[in-house]
Amino acid sequence: MQDMQQSEDVLEDWFIESLKTYKDLHVYQLEHPTRVIEWTSGKTVCVAGYSSSKNEILELRLPLKLFADENKGLCAERDFKVVHGGFTDGPVRRLRHVPGTRCVVTNDGLSSDLQVWDLGGDDSDVIRQTGSVKGRRSVSEGGSRVAARLSSRPRVLHGAQSGDVQLTELTSGQPVYKLESDSADPVGSLHFVTDAVFVVGCSNGNVHVADTRTSDAPQLSPPPSGESVTWWTDVSAGPSCLDPSSCRIVRLSSSGLTVISDLRKPGGAVSRAQLDVQTRCCNVDDVRVSWAPSLDDCIAVSGFSGAVQIYDTSVWRAEPEEVRPLFEHRGHAVSSQSDDGVPVFVTSHVWHPERSRTLLSAASDGSVHVWDWVDQSAADG
Amino acid sequence: MPEIKVTPLGAGQDVGRSCILVSIGGKNIMLDCGMHMGYNDDRRFPDFSYITQNGRLTDFLDCVIISHFHLDHCGALPFMSEMVGYDGPIYMTHPTKAICPILLEDFRKITVDKKGETNFFTSQMIKDCMKKVVPLNLHQTVQVDDELEIKAYYAGHVLGAAMVHIKVGSESVVYTGDYNMTPDRHLGAAWIDKCRPDILISESTYATTIRDSKRCRERDFLKKVHESIERGGKVLIPVFALGRAQELCILLETFWERMNLKAPIYFSTGLTEKANHYYKLFITWTNQKIRKTFVQRNMFEFKHIKAFDRSYADNPGPMVVFATPGMLHAGQSLQIFKKWAGNEKNMVIMPGYCVQGTIGHKILNGQRKLEMEGRATLDVKLQVEYMSFSAHADAKGIMQLIRMAEPRNMLLVHGEAVKMEFLKGKIEQEFSIDCYMPANGETATVTTNPSVPVDISLNLLKREMALGGPLPDPKKPRTMHGTLIMKENSLKLVSSEQALKELGLNEHQLRFTCRVQLQDPHSDNDTLHRIYTHLKSVLKGYTIQHLPDGTVMVESIVIKVSSSAEDANTKVLLLSWSYQDEDLGSFLSTLLKKGLPSGLC
Repeated sequence: MQDMQQSEDVLEDWFIESLKTYKDLHVYQLEHPTRVIEWTSGKTVCVAGYSSSKNEILELRLPLKLFADENKGLCAERDFKVVHGGFTDGPVRRLRHVPGTRCVVTNDGLSSDLQVWDLGGDDSDVIRQTGSVKGRRSVSEGGSRVAARLSSRPRVLHGAQSGDVQLTELTSGQPVYKLESDSADPVGSLHFVTDAVFVVGCSNGNVHVADTRTSDAPQLSPPPSGESVTWWTDVSAGPSCLDPSSCRIVRLSSSGLTVISDLRKPGGAVSRAQLDVQTRCCNVDDVRVSWAPSLDDCIAVSGFSGAVQIYDTSVWRAEPEEVRPLFEHRGHAVSSQSDDGVPVFVTSHVWHPERSRTLLSAASDGSVHVWDWVDQSAADG
Repeated sequence: MPEIKVTPLGAGQDVGRSCILVSIGGKNIMLDCGMHMGYNDDRRFPDFSYITQNGRLTDFLDCVIISHFHLDHCGALPFMSEMVGYDGPIYMTHPTKAICPILLEDFRKITVDKKGETNFFTSQMIKDCMKKVVPLNLHQTVQVDDELEIKAYYAGHVLGAAMVHIKVGSESVVYTGDYNMTPDRHLGAAWIDKCRPDILISESTYATTIRDSKRCRERDFLKKVHESIERGGKVLIPVFALGRAQELCILLETFWERMNLKAPIYFSTGLTEKANHYYKLFITWTNQKIRKTFVQRNMFEFKHIKAFDRSYADNPGPMVVFATPGMLHAGQSLQIFKKWAGNEKNMVIMPGYCVQGTIGHKILNGQRKLEMEGRATLDVKLQVEYMSFSAHADAKGIMQLIRMAEPRNMLLVHGEAVKMEFLKGKIEQEFSIDCYMPANGETATVTTNPSVPVDISLNLLKREMALGGPLPDPKKPRTMHGTLIMKENSLKLVSSEQALKELGLNEHQLRFTCRVQLQDPHSDNDTLHRIYTHLKSVLKGYTIQHLPDGTVMVESIVIKVSSSAEDANTKVLLLSWSYQDEDLGSFLSTLLKKGLPSGLC
């Protein structure tokens, strides 16, 4: 009883504080927690369950209030709308939207095969599986990572290990490119830099940069430090990255050491920092580091706890120093609905593609938050 | 097969008005009688021609039940009862009965006085309509008549909102009205027991929504108020006297205390008068837990909230004022609005829906220039905020409710079936129940499987037991014979003899006789013997006897042979059997008509 009152107070405090620290804040509770949040349009996202048997995959439309810029005050709509839904037979650990289509591709985190889904149009609310894509080599754990880029012929980049990465055309199921490498590094993430150049970020810290126009072996860079830790990667890509040489890569390790490199020289480091990650019981798969699409030099980190941290990497130096986050979203931790004593942790986060400080985050207790944070340093200064 | 029919009145895809007809066990019930707020003509009223083309509805409806006081659920009630005509009982909870007429009168005034409508109900009609109301208490079974009973359950949502359980015989339906499953600060969450109704009726919009938390809505409210106050602005909050005002006051009071704010908060006198009334209604309606919260915070002794005097509106500096009426259509709230509208530092927060024709409705639609009396125009420079605090269930909530009530079938109204396939599949999969989605004006027919309780007489039971053999169990039912007697409303299974005795009837025996002609060049006795041999070889397992009195008996069937008068080789077989052996008897007659096989000795 005492605990409940205390947590009520903490929650109350956080909400009062949020009046100053957030512009918009929305808190939702899904029936089942999700480990994926993926944009399927400027206003819709897909989420999906990860229990071992049957799960739901949902396409949600964000609240109208979030987008009503001029007449925001006149719009009272704050809820998510479930626009499409479907059922999967297994867990969904990765979900990727294929740009320019109404397709998404999922992976269960166990095998290397992908399932292809049609999200449906206006005339139906059912998300249906339309096919599958076989992994180049079968695996029984770890599963495949997926990346996709807007292209005239829908295709996905996928693989569970660095030597198995391939680019497959969806309609024919035929591979259009296969990464030729003897390496077998477990893939942490895949990123397109341009239509032809992509990066394979491996969880052992290796980074492969490949070009689909050549049959050369990919350029390999080893991890920034010799410690045996797990690494997570993100590559900044977007309008400013038409020239691959202006792209940057961030690598975050489970020890907290974070390194920013130029894609031209992935082996080198532009800047470093030591983040306080407090690795307690985080699930390797759920840690995510991401570049902000429209906020220069900012990254978001989640998965180590019940919080999402935003860092401004422009102030980082060559030698790693302890840095504090520019902003920390603790909403999931303070409003946790978990009553089995297991601390809640953030399972996923995404940045809004245009609204520079808006993010969506999901946690293990089924909560999903949409938040637009205030840069206090800018506000105060 | 017994069935329950459900028809949501209305046409096409329009939502925004609730009026559902249910036919169950020969009874017809109307659930809610809402007004469609988007129309100005007759389309705002439900189309009662479905019930009857002309004339009053009294003969066609056994009762009307209203779930809560929102106009889209009760707005057309006086029209239905007084202008179309209905004199039967109208059921609603006590708070709904108290609040409905006030809202209806407000609504009537706006529609008739402000908009000059003519085809509308009058004040007297509202009064006459309310005279037909029979108030309900929570969890109390009410007998509408000998067969129809109803019971109200707590729905949360607003004061007095109820979910209703309707039962006729062993068939039942639960209608949810509007409800919420996450506990609200003051209204709590809906609750129902495992009543296992044949159908659970709810809104489809809930099932496709995932609601933002109440806390975030409150946060937005506090943020807006705080921002205005900080820049020296004045905040007007027009409220309905018996609605959300008290809840928002408590929210502000706590916030002011917490943040140590000094700006004054006022509560207009119109509200304080009604507040007593509201408080009494509220206290008797809510449960123990909620009651305690209110007793602790005496609603009328806020530290930071004072009674308003109209002269304060001209005071300089920031302030917050709660004033009636809620849609800015008249009175104090409108007066204050006129004074404050010209200053962009000020703000008006509309906490609920505004009816067409009111200033509230206009500004919520973005109108920035208003025409007032005497051709004067008012420039609306202040900030307008629309906030919705209504507690509604969502996708998760609806699944929780289904788990609670365990209905045999689900029925969702006001949705497009084509766009709800996923939802239908979800409900069907998770609960293995059918999900119906009738369009407006369409009837959904749900077949029920009511169990009919029957008393079995002790004698009959003892006799069956005495027959021996294994005891019957669900996997191996045993056939037994008896007679079902329906007396008054009870059903009894008794032995045939007892039934005859009770009914004062004599038992009759039915015997069939049949003549079969056979060509057989033998003596009568020999023919009989040949028949006996033939039957013995065909009917193995049956008791066949050749009796000394010149007959053959198969079970209880008697066969006699005699020769035709004209021709000794033409034999006439006389077969005789009782009703119980009819099958065997007709089998034998068909068999013997075929004649005797030649190989018989």
